[in-house]
Amino acid sequence: MDFLAEGLRRAWTLLVAGDSEVYGIALLTLKVAVVATAISCTAGLPLGYFLATRVFWGRRAALTVVNTALAFPTVVVGPLLYGLLSRRGPLGGLGWLYTWQAIVIGDVLLALPIAAALSAAAVQGVDPRIRRTAETLGAGPWRAAWTVAREARFALAAVITAAFGQVVAEIGAAMIVGGNIRGQTRTLTTAVALYTAQGDFGLALALGFVLVLLALIVNIALQVLQGRGNA
Amino acid sequence: MLELRAVRHRYEGRVVLDLEQFTLPRTGSVAVVGHNGAGKSTLLRLLALLEAPTEGRIIFDGTAVPRRAPASLRRRVTLVEQRPVLFRGTVRENLEYGLRLRDVGRAAVHGIIGDVVDRLGLAPLLDRRRHELSDGEVQRVAVARALVLRTDVLLLDEPASSADRAAAGALYRALALERAARPLAVCIASHQLEDAYRWADDIRSLADGRLSPVTPENLFRVDLPPGDGVKHVPVGSIAIVVMTDRSGPAVLAVPPTDIFVSRERVPSSARNVLAGRVTGLAIEHRGAGVHVRADMGGVELIAAVTADAARDLALTPGVSVVFSFKASAVRVF
Repeated sequence: MDFLAEGLRRAWTLLVAGDSEVYGIALLTLKVAVVATAISCTAGLPLGYFLATRVFWGRRAALTVVNTALAFPTVVVGPLLYGLLSRRGPLGGLGWLYTWQAIVIGDVLLALPIAAALSAAAVQGVDPRIRRTAETLGAGPWRAAWTVAREARFALAAVITAAFGQVVAEIGAAMIVGGNIRGQTRTLTTAVALYTAQGDFGLALALGFVLVLLALIVNIALQVLQGRGNA
Repeated sequence: MLELRAVRHRYEGRVVLDLEQFTLPRTGSVAVVGHNGAGKSTLLRLLALLEAPTEGRIIFDGTAVPRRAPASLRRRVTLVEQRPVLFRGTVRENLEYGLRLRDVGRAAVHGIIGDVVDRLGLAPLLDRRRHELSDGEVQRVAVARALVLRTDVLLLDEPASSADRAAAGALYRALALERAARPLAVCIASHQLEDAYRWADDIRSLADGRLSPVTPENLFRVDLPPGDGVKHVPVGSIAIVVMTDRSGPAVLAVPPTDIFVSRERVPSSARNVLAGRVTGLAIEHRGAGVHVRADMGGVELIAAVTADAARDLALTPGVSVVFSFKASAVRVF
């Protein structure tokens, strides 16, 4: 168990000492996770609301696809995206391979189904009379959706947390399309993988603790944003 | 003001509403009565412009409403559903909801809400949240939430179903005040005849999605003589014996299920024994029941019997028949 204590000690030392490399990795991880979570939730939450509230041909199939995509393996997304972003790929012109933007795209592909499927479930849990009532009082589609979202805010906050958890801990796609380039695309997860492979367990564990700390801070922030639990 | 024309509405292929014409006048107060599943709620949802009819048109102020009604039109109508819900937040926030959507200023919101709150006796509830309210209180708040919007059309689906007598009275008084203060079309769906007759100018009956030519059976507008207890009230060429302390204009209702049908007079405690001829039979409840229509000397009465009883009594149009019912069975509205 000494290596755990060693890991914690090194994490503390690195953070207190203001190690620029560790802070750089942590900040990049935070940036990628926040941007990817924001994009996937901006698209996924309305998609989930749409799937939960609208009746249309193929709705059941669409829900099945989204639910299946929840189990999309990161090691499949990585090579797929690599093919798209590589020089000869259809998106090669963007020049995004081995950039933080590529990691964001990979993370969005993985977190979007989570945001859509879980928000659909959250909205389905809201009494359907809420939306109807909002409409009877004159609300348009957006305002009615906002009213439903307010009712489901705890569940939707959990959706955002789950999406953030997915992207912040993602490693497969980050490694493949990010390339784990020091100072550019090295995130906490790829750094942990690298230092573990190099046998530096202490540093790997220290970065792992930083990752957990980061997730903890974001979760606390989300809880504060949720406000009080009034009915 | 609001009219359905040649409307046929389907859910999953099944016709749930089939109306050649249904008009809600600008200042009218219409009650739609009918059993559960008769199509009352669907009718109200169409009138509220929340759904477009599968076939037919909705006309609002002489103009056809597009399939997706614009917000400007929808905001002139509001509906209180049968089992209303309140949004998260206080009663006050709920009352403010629709006004905020209409960009009403804070000072005006305060004034409008205060007015309606006073009329419905909701002041003690303003800071409560939905889980702190009874079903009846939720219903009153929902009606208040609709009233504050001052829409041209107010649609209420069983608005007093969870209210006690006093609360229902307050509710209808508030509606009457609102109607007296400004032009307001009200349409109430109810299965309670008492509600319908007490508060509506016009009653329409809905059965299996269609307007029924027979509005609630055995209803008579009468002038009750003064005095207490048993009264003989003239209804056309006959008199109906009633037990009531009321006097003046009223409506008598004789529930068809309370009428005892026989071919000849039989001794009983019934104070109303009327002889006449069967004019028609209508099969109800998938063949299990029969509505027997009879002419009692110029006054038509309808009795409900089982199909077996109709067969045993050999009831056919033209045969003589006797309807008996107790004075206490006659309801006075």
